[in-house]
Amino acid sequence: MPEVLSVEGLGKSYTGVRALHDVSFSLGSGEIRGICGENGAGKSTFVKILMGITQPDSGSIRIAGRARDIPGPRQAQGMGLGIVAQELSLAPHLSILDNIWLGSAGVPLLHRRQALRERAQKALDALGVGDWDLNGRVGALTMGQRQIVEIARLLARDTQVLILDEPTATLSDSEIERILAVLRELKAQGRSVIYISHRLGEIFELCDTVTVFRNGECVATKPVQEVSREGLIELMLGRPFDEMYPQHHANPDARNALVIERLTVPGMVHDFSAVAPRGKILCVAGQIGSGAAMVTRAAAGLLPDAIGRLTLDGKTLRLGSVPHCVARNVFFLSEDRASEGLFPPMKVLDNLVATRLYAHAPLGVLSWRALRRIATDLAERVGVDRNRLGTAAVNLSGGNQQKLLFGRTLERTEPGVLLMNEPTRGIDVGARAEIYRLMRRLCDLGYALVMTSSDLEEVVGIADIVVTMYRGRTVARYEGERIAMSTILADITHPAEQAAR
Amino acid sequence: MTGKGDTVRGTREMSMPLAPDWRLLPTAVRAVVIVALTVACVATPGFFSLPNILSLLTTVSFMGCVAVGMTLITISGNIMSFSLGATAGAAAMVFIVAVNIGGIGIGLIAALAVAALVSAAQGFAVGWVRANPIIVSIAAVALIYGTAEIFTRHSSIYFKPGTGIEILRGKLGGVPLEFVVLLCVTAAGQFILYLTRFGRNLYMMGSSFRAAEAAGVKTWRTVTGAYLWAGAFTGLAGVMLAIRYDGANMDYGVGYEYDAIAAVLVGGTLMKGGHGSALRTLAGAMIIAIVQAMLLLRGFRQEWQYLFTGLIVFAVILLHSSGERR
Repeated sequence: MPEVLSVEGLGKSYTGVRALHDVSFSLGSGEIRGICGENGAGKSTFVKILMGITQPDSGSIRIAGRARDIPGPRQAQGMGLGIVAQELSLAPHLSILDNIWLGSAGVPLLHRRQALRERAQKALDALGVGDWDLNGRVGALTMGQRQIVEIARLLARDTQVLILDEPTATLSDSEIERILAVLRELKAQGRSVIYISHRLGEIFELCDTVTVFRNGECVATKPVQEVSREGLIELMLGRPFDEMYPQHHANPDARNALVIERLTVPGMVHDFSAVAPRGKILCVAGQIGSGAAMVTRAAAGLLPDAIGRLTLDGKTLRLGSVPHCVARNVFFLSEDRASEGLFPPMKVLDNLVATRLYAHAPLGVLSWRALRRIATDLAERVGVDRNRLGTAAVNLSGGNQQKLLFGRTLERTEPGVLLMNEPTRGIDVGARAEIYRLMRRLCDLGYALVMTSSDLEEVVGIADIVVTMYRGRTVARYEGERIAMSTILADITHPAEQAAR
Repeated sequence: MTGKGDTVRGTREMSMPLAPDWRLLPTAVRAVVIVALTVACVATPGFFSLPNILSLLTTVSFMGCVAVGMTLITISGNIMSFSLGATAGAAAMVFIVAVNIGGIGIGLIAALAVAALVSAAQGFAVGWVRANPIIVSIAAVALIYGTAEIFTRHSSIYFKPGTGIEILRGKLGGVPLEFVVLLCVTAAGQFILYLTRFGRNLYMMGSSFRAAEAAGVKTWRTVTGAYLWAGAFTGLAGVMLAIRYDGANMDYGVGYEYDAIAAVLVGGTLMKGGHGSALRTLAGAMIIAIVQAMLLLRGFRQEWQYLFTGLIVFAVILLHSSGERR
């Protein structure tokens, strides 16, 4: 396998903090390489250097055998390197064609649109989606289809090495299958792929080899056949791996629960009923667009047009009013932490106490001493370093940000209800295990937990009760031993068989 | 990670252009501005004379009160209000009318109430209907002007003799009363922002509206509250204008909103919301007032003051934006 990219002794430090140290890496043509590592392990610094966004302090890069400097993203493009970033960079109001050529170095000022159209069409053909309308607006596409447009964009620029950074984080299972198929097609054409993901299942399914980053160093590169799932996690953590999902040992208080009856959100959820007992984790499983995420949003009071009946411990919970829910200790944790959870520029302290200002503000005047004491205590309980209370929340890692949001919901006079969408999205394997332990601790305290997740492994691992949904309707309900990945997958993807059953 | 491990043992040094630490930029700019202003003040003959200082402290107070009010709106994430200048003018006229009818106490209450309500109504439109704050304030300017001009038939109004308004034109321990009011308003603004639940809600809303909503902040009440306080502080500025100039017409308020926006920006409060303070705005107002006073002493005409204020605001905007891009 000829080498397309090789890196020797790459190092990078940011104002005294070592982000990357002596990394060597080589990639053959037609190879799909997985990259794993916890947040902060150096994956993104490595990618930024390859894309010319940051410059390394030391080391050398060879592309197709020639030593190269990558001074900027445009030059990286010219050398055949391209990235599909986590945050898609498409313009929704432009057509697929325009998006494919947007920002391309290969488009001269005076160009023949027909030639561009032909080349774009070829790129779509190569991905097996030649029937798409190049004039169609990108805004009308699903997230998975947009991902494919991003990949087509790289092909049209004759990219030899495609870097994908968590491409499947926001996709549903069928869309993920499609992306994986597209990537295999690229491999067959002799292109190389660097695939960064927290989802180990995809690494094993797709990749030829896997490289593990830890603390800025490249600790191992192995063919995927030679490494087990547990072995891979241990390589990432650098220590033996005990158990990802803690034991279920709750003693549910059957009389007290969050009861959802005939919840309907026009156009999104139809007639949803479920019981979330205190001390248990109820998981609403469904693909993106199935309405699962809307159930939790509606219960949190975020959807004004939701109708139905909710009771908590026998008392009615008003729909459509977040302040009312917060007053009853019903909290929502969004899948979109950056824009619907955190107050990014504000301090960790401010973020922790955001929902408890009422309790510590007699006549509206705050007692900062009490708030500081509470924040310190909360930080300790959820495992955020208490010395970081003064830093801006935006500077924390994804895992710490999520712990912070959990912290907001703790230490009440009575245990509450947590409504969570994708509680571990974008969180690395170490922090993820901590989040699961935290969820179990909340159960033990008598909280009722309702979550949605598109990660089936997580659903099976953590849930006590699973309700599956398809296109806004409930498919089935499982509890305890009856929770199995295959039936859940069938429920959320194959509606016809379900209807027949 | 120890300090020793950080040394770069590179096989070759990458060419790095002079990379300034951008976090130090604000501090550096602050130092330069303070030094430059001090030098310019010392070099301006008559700047440190008592009459000049007194007039400086008086003029900064009108604009300062409006600016502190504006700060609350900006921090709440609603950028700015163009209608505060007109509100100040209207409050000045309401004050005179009410003083003529019922005395100083009634006048004060009426002026503050009208200003607060006019502004709170805009806050309600922004918070409840989710109307664009800039557009709402532009519409409000026309409404306020129109209403006032209909009632006054485009003329000035004056105090009746014997209202005793002269006693409010004095000094407190040698400091003009207006400046004392500004200090009180700044203290009140700072108190609201840092020590009340309402104030923290403003910051939360300004830094992320959706997160504030999800955390149970009553957003429309908070927005309306911000505009209400902004209106009340602006009303005080209007009252002070009427007292100082012994009369009022709608033109008195002209331009105060612009100076106030300039003060907020120069103080370093971010236009995107969620960050800033009343003290910063006080500092910003002082800087702008000092520059204007200096230009006046050096014989520049009004036009040049406008030009310089514009240049300062422009420079600050560029500085803020360059900070955000990193």
